[in-house]
Amino acid sequence: MNSPRAEHAPSQGNIVRDCPGTKDHICCGYKTIDLIEGCALSCSYCILKAYLNTPAITIHDDIPYITSQIDGMTGREARHILRFGTGELSDSLALDRRYRLNRPLVEFFGERKNALLELKSKWAYIDHLIPHLNPYTIISFSVAPQRIIDEEEKRTSPLYKRLKTARKAQDAGCFVGLHFDPIIIYPGFEKDYRYLIEDISRILDMDRIIWLSLGLLRFPPKLLGHYIEHNRKNLLYGEFIRGEDGKMRYIKQQRIKVYTMLYKMLKKKNKGLFIYFCMEREDVWRKVTGMTVRDDDALMTLFDERIKHLYGGKI
Amino acid sequence: MEMKTIPLNDIDLNDRRFCISYPLEDEALTESIREIGIVQPVLLCDASPLIVITGFRRLASAKKLGLENIPAMVRKVRADEALLLSIHDNLGRGLNTVEKAYALEKMIGAGFSRQTIFGVMALLSLKPHEKVLGSFVAIANEGRPLKDFIIRRGASMKSIEYLLELDAKERRGIISLLSPLHITDSLLREILEMLILIKIRTGAVYLRGLRGASDGRELKARLKKKSYPILSSMEKKFLAMKQRCALPPHIDIKVDPFFEKEYIDILLKIKSENDVRAAIEKLKAILEDGYIRSILELTQG
Repeated sequence: MNSPRAEHAPSQGNIVRDCPGTKDHICCGYKTIDLIEGCALSCSYCILKAYLNTPAITIHDDIPYITSQIDGMTGREARHILRFGTGELSDSLALDRRYRLNRPLVEFFGERKNALLELKSKWAYIDHLIPHLNPYTIISFSVAPQRIIDEEEKRTSPLYKRLKTARKAQDAGCFVGLHFDPIIIYPGFEKDYRYLIEDISRILDMDRIIWLSLGLLRFPPKLLGHYIEHNRKNLLYGEFIRGEDGKMRYIKQQRIKVYTMLYKMLKKKNKGLFIYFCMEREDVWRKVTGMTVRDDDALMTLFDERIKHLYGGKI
Repeated sequence: MEMKTIPLNDIDLNDRRFCISYPLEDEALTESIREIGIVQPVLLCDASPLIVITGFRRLASAKKLGLENIPAMVRKVRADEALLLSIHDNLGRGLNTVEKAYALEKMIGAGFSRQTIFGVMALLSLKPHEKVLGSFVAIANEGRPLKDFIIRRGASMKSIEYLLELDAKERRGIISLLSPLHITDSLLREILEMLILIKIRTGAVYLRGLRGASDGRELKARLKKKSYPILSSMEKKFLAMKQRCALPPHIDIKVDPFFEKEYIDILLKIKSENDVRAAIEKLKAILEDGYIRSILELTQG
């Protein structure tokens, strides 16, 4: 795909980091690999618009430097199975056909067999990776109703392509992840999400979805002005309040209602589906799922159980 | 450069190509000139008739006072030099938002490079950025009602940007609605933000239901009901519950303003043991009547 100017940056500091998480909300303990900073896609809601000042793309491609940091983190972690991802400051797949940065990481995780790599994307192309894929790489797609993809996720792959590519990854022996994130409230969104879940259950092997996250739209306050300026009707339809972490979120009553609806729809399709919330409060977890997830560690333990259940002793 | 006395009739007072002053009318200055005359000579461009470079306010006052001659210096300069002289001459007194807008808009019109314009923006304490420049050009091209509103209110850039999001008719309506009210800029910003949110959601600016608001707070409350219906209805329910509790002045129940935190605060002001006993009795009563449970249900979504 065509992309903005990319610069190769010298490796220094921590390229592998803890997901920053957010105050008073439960974080899954994800580890991020900032292989690429900046994104070639153009999502209207993108939080990177607030964090990254430049449209340029920075590439950290000193793989030995990065893998040594991954080894350091896995070596220090005694209790949990670590999950690493490259999709925090960029899209994991959008530029991979050109820069081929994922392959050495996929192979590294396949050799180590002690942690998982998640490639999270809205760009549906993995053909170049297929010969190298192994069960220690999770191919993940952010999904949304096609209407939202058309109006808010410019330059990304359409939904059916994302789902077909996820299926391709499943057929190649991988587990896949799905991220309903951001979930956007707009008139008629309930019906659109019902169809989305229908599509997912029709195209994918639901037993090979390792995890599925739900995250309603949230953003730093300074993006509100940006959305207003760009007249983002879909993004501004719901009622936003300032959460305890300072980010704008839908009002809790709305969040609980929407999460409950989606949780039920998804569980109806597959009871065993592992569903988690990205950056939610403990009381929202409890209200929607009936589970008490007190803190980050409790959620990481749930992930451990899920991974052990699917991988047995192979991790 | 020699100071001369120039007849007012030799000057083209309508030529405002280098004028960045806004507003031109300045009663204090007029009074001062009436008392002691023009102290600082104006700067004129050597042309026929003479073109004003600096001193537009002094000249407006002089004309108002019927002066026939004014002290001036005449200089032969290019148009771009004259504009920079005008801007730099005014920098010292601190330009208001509209004057900054005029300065930048005129620099664009005069064909200055972005580098030079961004340099002046830095001198004007503005972020040298294309988007900021765009907003200032938009202000310069607006009509008098918006400019006057901006000056009178000392409106911040955020408030101005919100106003610029609206079309001229909507803006007129909002300005006439807000003009009689005493409101701070932060309240103005909140009001405009809600108005725009409603416009984005519904396609129309909601003004009908706002007329007759006695002050900014009432206006905000009416708008909040419209733009945050769930939050407003929760607030209403909470206040109704609190009212039913009939709490004495030394007991209060508080919830998170956005109903985000699941816990509530119960505040007691105690002066004696008897106060504690009375508070416990009252809390026991509202607990048994189910009010605490109802409030907790509200905060727990």
